[in-house]
Amino acid sequence: MLKKLKVADLNVKIELNHNRTISQSKDYEAEFDNYNININIPDEEYEELKKEIDYLSDDDMEYIYTGAAFYEALLHFKGFMLHSSGVVVDNYAYLFSADPGTGKSTHTSLWVEYFGKDRAKIINDDKPAIRMVDNKIYVYGTPWSGKTDQNINMKVPLGAIVFLERSDKNWIKQIEPKEAIPLILQQTLRPRDREVMIKLLDMLDIVLKNIRLYRLGCNISEEAVKVSYNGIKMEE
Amino acid sequence: MKIKEGYLLREVAGSNIVVPVGEGAMDFSGVITLNEVGAFIWKLLENDITKEEILKKMLEEYEVEKAVAEKDIEEYISSLRGAELIAD
Repeated sequence: MLKKLKVADLNVKIELNHNRTISQSKDYEAEFDNYNININIPDEEYEELKKEIDYLSDDDMEYIYTGAAFYEALLHFKGFMLHSSGVVVDNYAYLFSADPGTGKSTHTSLWVEYFGKDRAKIINDDKPAIRMVDNKIYVYGTPWSGKTDQNINMKVPLGAIVFLERSDKNWIKQIEPKEAIPLILQQTLRPRDREVMIKLLDMLDIVLKNIRLYRLGCNISEEAVKVSYNGIKMEE
Repeated sequence: MKIKEGYLLREVAGSNIVVPVGEGAMDFSGVITLNEVGAFIWKLLENDITKEEILKKMLEEYEVEKAVAEKDIEEYISSLRGAELIAD
């Protein structure tokens, strides 16, 4: 069925037939006449995908492919996806990025435990959208947030991007854009089309010049939260 | 000689980076970082050009001895060839 969603301040017309994506996008339903993005994976294409990847349920297939379509389209609107877990504290979003299985969700869930649910919220546990709007860089929750389904339909200024790795001791270190470029390119959707790649790189240029970047080594403890929060917090 | 199709050079936050685009982007998901001179030569190589022409342009752009420039260009091009980035 046809759904109308507002995601990252974009009007998204989307054809959804399976429960997971429909229920995940409930908070994003909106009314509008003109759309920015139209997501409709044709039945034939869908059947082809299913033949290739037979270990995914229909629910998961739709969730993954509509998400990929949204993030690809996002590149045309001064935005991109960062594979990361995003936590909001005091109206800034901090994004913890790493390969799957490293522990980014674990780390942000420790933040929520430490600060409490009123002060700390997971805006998107796996694939937040970053967009430049009115010359400011914002993080948005989206319906597509990976395994844990944790996301909130909200828009918050981006505070910092942190590349997380496991470590016995907790440490944090600010890094230069130069060091962050390969890390960020590993954790986003890389378009194949030249013109779209230019859009992504130009957006990264703005983000890397204006946002503080860190590497964090952490274990699973309250001390890990203190080290990372004290290292990256925005002062009002 | 020239750089093969399927690569994009762009300055991102002060770094000259090269990423694959088009068909090749599926096989190679890395990033190449070039220094200033490397980026200068790469841009020249985006159009068909000879070593002699590159040398001439290098000497116009940079204050460098001819012998040094020649050696640098030679090394750079052989490293690009080694990485299979050049089409003749």
